[in-house]
Amino acid sequence: MPENNEPISLTEDERDCYQEITNVAMGQAADRLARLLDVYVVLPIPNVNIIEISEFNMTLKALEDADSVSAVCQGFIGAGIAGEALLIFNDASLGDIAQLLKYTGELDQHAELEVLMDVANVLNGACIQGIGEQLNIPFNQSHPVVLGQHCNISDLINEKQARWKRTMAIEINYTIEGHNVNCDLILLFTEDSVRHMNVLISYLLEDD
Amino acid sequence: MARKQMARALPDNWEVEVSFAKHGEEALEIIKAGGAEIMFLDLTMPVLDGYQTLEAIKAQDLPIMVIVVSGDIQPEARDRVKKLGALEFIKKPVDKEKAEQVLMEYGIIGGDA
Repeated sequence: MPENNEPISLTEDERDCYQEITNVAMGQAADRLARLLDVYVVLPIPNVNIIEISEFNMTLKALEDADSVSAVCQGFIGAGIAGEALLIFNDASLGDIAQLLKYTGELDQHAELEVLMDVANVLNGACIQGIGEQLNIPFNQSHPVVLGQHCNISDLINEKQARWKRTMAIEINYTIEGHNVNCDLILLFTEDSVRHMNVLISYLLEDD
Repeated sequence: MARKQMARALPDNWEVEVSFAKHGEEALEIIKAGGAEIMFLDLTMPVLDGYQTLEAIKAQDLPIMVIVVSGDIQPEARDRVKKLGALEFIKKPVDKEKAEQVLMEYGIIGGDA
């Protein structure tokens, strides 16, 4: 593949296409979570943006008021595309989710970790596979890793700063109807991946 | 892209005029102007989402057959849109066979279309 150092960008059609692909994938993920917790998951319009990692916290509008957050990340890779799925919880949500998952007993740091992992396994996996299916790419996923518990959003991002500069960020803000649950699933793709995906989606955007 | 996928899923040789709306409010204007008999409605939209659009259709008793096409495949979403008067729910990405089957089921197109 020829070296391409052009900064990545998206046309309106490309952004719309990623939004539509995400819309389908997040619906599949929400369905899994809804069945697990017996709730209705409210689906937003996903945000798709090319960002500098330094502006990352500003893109997380849904969680900007959160005093403290906990986050799990999970890498995925397949056919020239690599990225990370980041699930960030407003810590105020953890009590409600634990209840919905029917956890009993004290919600200590260990129990919270389990709650995080349970939800991450459902949402991240289904969303990543959902996107892969539509692009005809079987993604391999790494195990989810805790990025931080009870921290603020800028603490999370410093950890990543070394490895990423410019990225495509897809942000999905999930809320659960009738419960105080608010989490953000953010998919980050490397620059080369975005170039490759832009080629893949060009077939979806073709006129008949 | 959702429009293209939807347009591609419609039966071939189906002689209808297709209009597209950016969101629910625009769709309601088209319906009120008498510009549509059947609507394929998405749920996740700006301005007026699919649920609100269905509520408005119901409240104003607008003459339109609505088939919801959405990525929100939660059972609850299907139940809700049916209660709000949608004929049918088709999950995204929409495929031609499913669209044809639904249109046939409701007698909108003939069996040999």
